[in-house]
Amino acid sequence: MQHIDLLAGHHLLNRRGFLNHTGTGLSSIALTMMLAEQGLLKAEDTKLGTVGGTSSIRPVIEPAHPFAPRSSHFPAAAKRVIVIFCSGACSHLDTFDYKPELIARHGQPLPGADKLITFQGEQGNVTQSPWKFQRRGECGKMISDLVPHLGALADDMCFLHSIKGKTNTHGPGENYMSTGFTLDGFPSIGAWTAYALGTENENLPAYVAIPDPRGTPQNSVNNWGPGFLPAAYQGTDFNTSLPIRNLARPESISESADGKTRGFLKRLNERHLGRFPGDTELAARISSYELAAKMQLSIPEVRDLSTESASTIAMYGADDTENILKAGYAKNCILARRLLEQGVRFVQLFNGAYQTGGEGVSNWDGHKVLKDQYSIHGPVLDQPTAALIIDLKQRGLLKDTLVVWCTEFGRMPTFQKGASGRDHNPEGFTCWLAGAGVKAPFSYGATDEFGYKAIENIVTVHDFHATILHLLGLDHERLTFYYNGLERRLTDVEGQVVRDVLA
Amino acid sequence: MITGMIPINLRRAVTLLFLGWTLSVTADEAHFPNDRIPTADFETQVRPILIAKCFDCHGPETQESHLRLDRRAAMLRGGDSGEPAIVEGDSAQSHLIQLVSGAETGKRMPPNGMNRLSKGEIQLLRTWIDAGAVWPGPDGAADDETAKSDHWSFQPVRTSRLPGIDDLWVANGIDAFVLQKLSEHSLTHNAQATRPELIRRMSLDMLGLPPTPEEVRAFIANRDPQAVSLLVEKILDSPHYGERWSRYWLDLVRFAETNGYETNRERPNAWPYRDYVIRSLNDDKPYDQFLKEQIAGDAIGTSEATAYLVAGPYDLVKSPDINLTLMQRQNELDDMINTTGTAFMGLTLGCARCHNHKFDPIRQTDYYSMQAIFAGIQHGDRSLPLTEQQHQEVAKIDQQLVHLRDQLKPFVKDAGPHRPPVNARGNEELFEPTAARFIRFTIAQTNASQSCIDELEIFSGTTNVALSSTGAKATCSSALPGYEIHKLENINDGRFGNSHSWISNEPGRGWIQIELSKVVTVDRIVWARDREGQFGDRLATQYVIEVSVEPDQWKPVASSADRLPFTGAALTQPEYDFAKFPNDKAEQGRQLLNQLQEHEQRKSQLQVTATVYAGTFQQPGATHRLFRGEPLAKREQVEPGTVAALGKLAISEASPEQQRRLALAEWMASKENPLTARVIVNRLWQFHLGKGLVATPSDLGKAGVPPTHPELLDWLAMELMEHNWSLKHVHRLILNSATYQQSSQPRDDALQADADTQWWWRFPPRRLEAEPIRDSILAVTGVLDDRMYGPGFSGFEVELENVRHYFPKKSYGPEDWRRMIYMTKVRLEKESVFGVFDCPDAATSVPKRSRSTTPLQALNLFNSPFMLQQAQLFADRLKRDCGDDRGKQIARAFWLCYGREPDAAEFVDSQTFITDQGISAFCRAVLNSNEFLFIE
Repeated sequence: MQHIDLLAGHHLLNRRGFLNHTGTGLSSIALTMMLAEQGLLKAEDTKLGTVGGTSSIRPVIEPAHPFAPRSSHFPAAAKRVIVIFCSGACSHLDTFDYKPELIARHGQPLPGADKLITFQGEQGNVTQSPWKFQRRGECGKMISDLVPHLGALADDMCFLHSIKGKTNTHGPGENYMSTGFTLDGFPSIGAWTAYALGTENENLPAYVAIPDPRGTPQNSVNNWGPGFLPAAYQGTDFNTSLPIRNLARPESISESADGKTRGFLKRLNERHLGRFPGDTELAARISSYELAAKMQLSIPEVRDLSTESASTIAMYGADDTENILKAGYAKNCILARRLLEQGVRFVQLFNGAYQTGGEGVSNWDGHKVLKDQYSIHGPVLDQPTAALIIDLKQRGLLKDTLVVWCTEFGRMPTFQKGASGRDHNPEGFTCWLAGAGVKAPFSYGATDEFGYKAIENIVTVHDFHATILHLLGLDHERLTFYYNGLERRLTDVEGQVVRDVLA
Repeated sequence: MITGMIPINLRRAVTLLFLGWTLSVTADEAHFPNDRIPTADFETQVRPILIAKCFDCHGPETQESHLRLDRRAAMLRGGDSGEPAIVEGDSAQSHLIQLVSGAETGKRMPPNGMNRLSKGEIQLLRTWIDAGAVWPGPDGAADDETAKSDHWSFQPVRTSRLPGIDDLWVANGIDAFVLQKLSEHSLTHNAQATRPELIRRMSLDMLGLPPTPEEVRAFIANRDPQAVSLLVEKILDSPHYGERWSRYWLDLVRFAETNGYETNRERPNAWPYRDYVIRSLNDDKPYDQFLKEQIAGDAIGTSEATAYLVAGPYDLVKSPDINLTLMQRQNELDDMINTTGTAFMGLTLGCARCHNHKFDPIRQTDYYSMQAIFAGIQHGDRSLPLTEQQHQEVAKIDQQLVHLRDQLKPFVKDAGPHRPPVNARGNEELFEPTAARFIRFTIAQTNASQSCIDELEIFSGTTNVALSSTGAKATCSSALPGYEIHKLENINDGRFGNSHSWISNEPGRGWIQIELSKVVTVDRIVWARDREGQFGDRLATQYVIEVSVEPDQWKPVASSADRLPFTGAALTQPEYDFAKFPNDKAEQGRQLLNQLQEHEQRKSQLQVTATVYAGTFQQPGATHRLFRGEPLAKREQVEPGTVAALGKLAISEASPEQQRRLALAEWMASKENPLTARVIVNRLWQFHLGKGLVATPSDLGKAGVPPTHPELLDWLAMELMEHNWSLKHVHRLILNSATYQQSSQPRDDALQADADTQWWWRFPPRRLEAEPIRDSILAVTGVLDDRMYGPGFSGFEVELENVRHYFPKKSYGPEDWRRMIYMTKVRLEKESVFGVFDCPDAATSVPKRSRSTTPLQALNLFNSPFMLQQAQLFADRLKRDCGDDRGKQIARAFWLCYGREPDAAEFVDSQTFITDQGISAFCRAVLNSNEFLFIE
């Protein structure tokens, strides 16, 4: 009973009649086996469903139903999550982190930064944002004119202004925000969530990544990779313009022929299963074809926006004929809502793609001419994202959906020497939360007077992740997976839940 | 006490100066205490403080954070943090002082505020430490606190006695051990699998391809009682074995042919390593040698094997930001250390990067000792050395070049008072003809490390009189010990290049002397660091050449004094001036120059050897332990070495880079290493039977799972070592065992007791991995291109932007139908059809793939253009093989895919289905079926 391959069905539940099993009768055996999975060395020291233990809590996974909904470690505020990821490093100083000192000292050197070398090199002078900040919402939060629609939702938002990164280069920065590690190859937060909780709708993937219409984010698939978790838990990537590969029935094959072939395959497999009665891995492969057939119906349906009302389309800006980029991203926002509505556990929505056509052209990497570049990106992000939150709220989904807005790191209060844009800055930047279980309106933590370094209530990305998992009812220290000698966690060996931001 | 103080600090300062640190750093680092130091007596003043304030948590009874302060050696070792509690003679660097004085925020000790040390007490501790932490008595013994672990895997591999079981089932030692455990658990084994099952299992398991129907039929018909073991031999001889099993190794060593991270650029020269692994397995290269080559192949004649070291990811995005650069470098080295630890030794060394290992006796210092071994390795391409034939041709051209240059000498333009700077690829010393019996070349300075000369040629006219074959004898000041390729005799053996060179054993210095067989008039000497141009270090930059007729009557004939200073710039050709000569003479000169250039061109063409992404090597600077693994938090310098609790390497800070790796390799590959053999036999068992005897194959430490069959594991390890580390020997044992040959049929009673099959009462069935699925499909449809080796084929359409983008292929042709091992392995991105069958992303070492079942797999296999095309090709093949006879087509498909005849129900169902939907729909279903995708 000591091995680690997950979902290696026949190891787990080789019992005659498994196929007839409805999901509860064998759960005690399943539990025992799953705990034995992963070479678990420490016995559980507390029962499932309680908090405060120190040993790992293993999700009880049935091989034939790897995505079946599973209970959280403790009652959860959020049933599902949407992470909106601004690829390229969206400047906190031109959006949500208001620093009057940048205006007061505009054009002067940043104190103590004369020798400072950041990602691309030397610093020019402190530079105020090209956008004015105004009081927004009843709370009066200062938010820039770059994102007025989002600003209008200030009362729903919980800002964390003191996020601290570990790297100032995009690939590792995206990795860190998406997986908790700067290196490639670790499971994304969505994969951890799908592994822990499964999904509420098995006819759709548990975890969907929606790339920007312009392409994948800078560290591409690693943002939704399974790392060392079973491949079942990786994000499935598609959007409104890019379908799931191989989902559709091939054009050359009629619906009836396809169905009959499926039937014949099933008979071949069932006769074969007769020789290995109860083998769950074989049974799981049979079910996977049935699930695939269901997805062939449910995914095109969820991607089809034609049933959306004209007012909804307009609210998102998906009908904007002058700003094609905005309309494209807006459609992805609508898709995100439809997925959440149908019970997808984890949605990752990207705004900004890999670098193409130069720095800052296709994403938030505003090194050269920040004003010109952000004048493009701001409107693409603003209205559609705001509409998504409003829509979730209108439909009663926001109360049990956690909305996370993040980016890989922030930007410098100075312009780069010889340029009109800001260099990378992981020392202090802003992310925000909204929805389930989140205190709002609220602002937590702060950067210094220039917005350069986080100085008050510093929140590491590990803390941020711990907090997201907490809102999902998961103890980040007990959600582990044994891999190459370690009980691996999303939060490595760090992370503390930021309790002050909980409602 | 003051006198005792000074030498310690002086020693430290001297060490630092020797390492070439700047003075300011030296002054900062070397802590000189105030001028007057009071004394502190350990017994009466220091120990009482420790007992009163520390022992509750860090004493003989309890050791929180594994720190104990009741023994001096334990103090020097420190606890989990990896920080030594005390640094002799340096209280400022002593973690104990930092903690008790509250210098480290939030970590003040003792934690209970009431119990804090007074200023006076802290001063006493400081005084005691600064005075060298003198600790009389047995507890003060300075013996190494590398606790001898009693953990099973750190003990020597034992000769296991076979259980005395008399049972006809037992085919070899494996079965005896397995049967013993089965009986202990009141289980019985399954009967032997049928012939068709056996050949299919062995073929898929060992070769990754199904047997042909003809092979299956012949095997069934074979009446030879040895038929099964003959089959085993045949399979072991198949070159497909290397193609199948290299995949496991490549997963383990995180091999890929792109860099990873955001740019994910190609490594077009990475594939030779894949071929190296396939060849090594097919040739049954002894595993100890296989291991050594991958760590230090450049030292032992298999240069391409060091591609292992740099097979991992590499972040191409660079920045002027020093913090980023240092962290990237630490991550690169960590990848090498961690992979080497887990892949070869089942030791999770990476856990000690930031602190002492929590479970195993691996100190943080050990981790950085290991880093000092790898610290000279850089990612990148390297050209391989010349072959013997290339050597000879180059030598011939060199002779012609010498002749041509001689003839061209009158035309050389006066280059001014200074000769060109020395050059690693070759230097010429011309002087007045001088009678000589002895020639001595004395090196006073090199550009790095001990000096190296690949060949010293001494000419009398056009004859090299220094060759040992002419009776000349070489002596030297010293030679690097332990290296065949750098021994003294290489200096005049007539062979060029680093692998036939002399290296002194003195950093920056050394002399070499040739005694000619008789007195000869000499006028020219040619020498180089490496005429093949692979290496540019160890080059003599200050030297003098002297000759004498009688011993010790030296007369200098050439030196570096009239050369321009060495800058590392490329060699410049002399300039020629023909205009000053009469026309015919000038024309002759031009022709000579033409010839010279042609010869040089041919030489450089010859010298182009294969380039492999095998890393480059340079002598590293000092390696320091890093506090919490932070690149800027340097602590004491560490010597290169391995985990102290497990062994000691005969290397030091002065050891050349290559020697460090070789020492580690030889230690890992030694029979005395308790881990190496156990780790690899466990892996072999796992890949054959789905699960290892140790379920955590890359962690044989305390956090791993103990073996289910410890005696069997040791027996296999011993078998491996006693049979010259032959992996095929272990394969043979497993394949011939009754355990392996059992039927995979489930049995209720056995499932009840052992659902997990950990006692091996049957062969546990399992789904094939991505590669054998794809390869099997191509094999049965008849399009498999079985060309071996060479550059791979792409599984993607690649968009060649600065940041590479990998899109699925839209159509496939014969160029895509080689085995998947030859598909260019892209990091992170997974091939669009088969990648979802748990292909690793090659970011880290994967000892065992997960085995998922997902709807996306089903969609890819059922709907992808690749599969539809294969279904059609399969249908074409069936028609080709069987004409229009439907019955034959069905039978042929079953034989090809399952290795058996269809039963009556299957036959009728198939026939009805084909009548209704056609043969390619039938093929589509069969290629998706469980029986086709499983090893049973």
